Amino acid sequence: MSCLELGARLHPYVDGELPVEETAAADAHVAACPSCASLVRRERAFRRLLRQQPRESAPAELRTRVVSGVRREARRAWRRRAWWLATPALAAAAVIVALLLPFWRAPAPLVADLVDKHIAYAQLDRPAELASTDRDEVAAWFRQRAGLRVTVPDYSPSGIHLIGARLADAHERRAAYLLYEKGRTLLSVFMLTLPDGRGRLDGTPVSYRGHEYRRAERKGYHTVIWTDGRAAFGLVSSLDYEALLECADRLRLERANATSL
Amino acid sequence: MALAHLDALYQTALRLTRSRAEAEDVVQDTYLRAFRAFDRFNPGTNCRAWLYTILRNVFLNRMRREGREVPDPEGLLTAEAVESATAPAFAGDNPEEEFLQSVLHGDVDRALKRLPLAFREAVILADLEGLSYKEVGEVLGCPIGTVMSRLSRGRRLLRRALGGFAREHGYVRETE
Repeated sequence: MSCLELGARLHPYVDGELPVEETAAADAHVAACPSCASLVRRERAFRRLLRQQPRESAPAELRTRVVSGVRREARRAWRRRAWWLATPALAAAAVIVALLLPFWRAPAPLVADLVDKHIAYAQLDRPAELASTDRDEVAAWFRQRAGLRVTVPDYSPSGIHLIGARLADAHERRAAYLLYEKGRTLLSVFMLTLPDGRGRLDGTPVSYRGHEYRRAERKGYHTVIWTDGRAAFGLVSSLDYEALLECADRLRLERANATSL
Repeated sequence: MALAHLDALYQTALRLTRSRAEAEDVVQDTYLRAFRAFDRFNPGTNCRAWLYTILRNVFLNRMRREGREVPDPEGLLTAEAVESATAPAFAGDNPEEEFLQSVLHGDVDRALKRLPLAFREAVILADLEGLSYKEVGEVLGCPIGTVMSRLSRGRRLLRRALGGFAREHGYVRETE
């Protein structure tokens, strides 16, 4: 990629919106070109400034107004349409169902998305945006780069070693992406916030050490995915399910320790 | 719950309307409309983007009713004017962009207020609310190419305005 080409793609590159191959080409160019590197740094500093703007929460009265407004509206609609919903308890239940429904109609499954990303990145010479074997450095990089607090699990006891990290997009969201290797086998760890607090997780439910996960095979790769509050996690690799579940359990454990500190 | 988006919608409404009372009304209307339009919510699509879309429509309808600015095409024309008016070089354009260090509390909101609506809404959704290009396109009802060009120009205008404030604060000297 030339300076001119990088310039034309600067914004989508910094926003993590370029296709994988172009991202890799841009990474390589930026690593070799100090003036484009400075351009990218500037652009990232500007994004950070915008992202760190203070935010106001909605006032409590607004929350009350919204709920009572919707409830009133619901009563009005039901009086018109359905006598059997006229009792207050049923009406309240229906309001709750109405507010919850957008979650149940969640976006497309995660597995396909994550496996495709894994395959695309596995083909690159330099799959990581930040090449690092240092967990603290990687965690600091996510904090700095995108304001994300990311737990970087230690899989070295299982012979799985951290090789780096990148920001990726998954499920139309920006995702933290950690890359590990066991021998020459790549293990991808994706972390993202689900669009509506709850997404449709596909795969076969499986329980491991008292926790629920979903496993699936796609294009010859194994995946293990799970959610924790609004966060979703996905592991993709050709390693076997047992190894992935072990990694999932370890990440869950390290996250629990990190938040309890 | 759809109410999980209340804070984000309120924050966006606040930045669009520039007034707390109006932002509250816009959010309240948004939820009422979402409730009424519920059967038109498309399964498999993104609830957040859907709510932002309704919020934007509520906001634009109010603006039109009150005869205030609407995003196109005036917004784009105004932007040209703003860009050429601020054309002389100042340190906001220098490569190190030191003025970013000196942006004061409230400067970004002040600068956003100066942006024509078409750019303001794109920058708010993508950069302050963290929506992807695709989501922004859904909300604004335009193709991704348009999202990209509005973002790129919106950011440029925002930078210039911020550079201008830095100059006012005396952090950055005008260059020849």
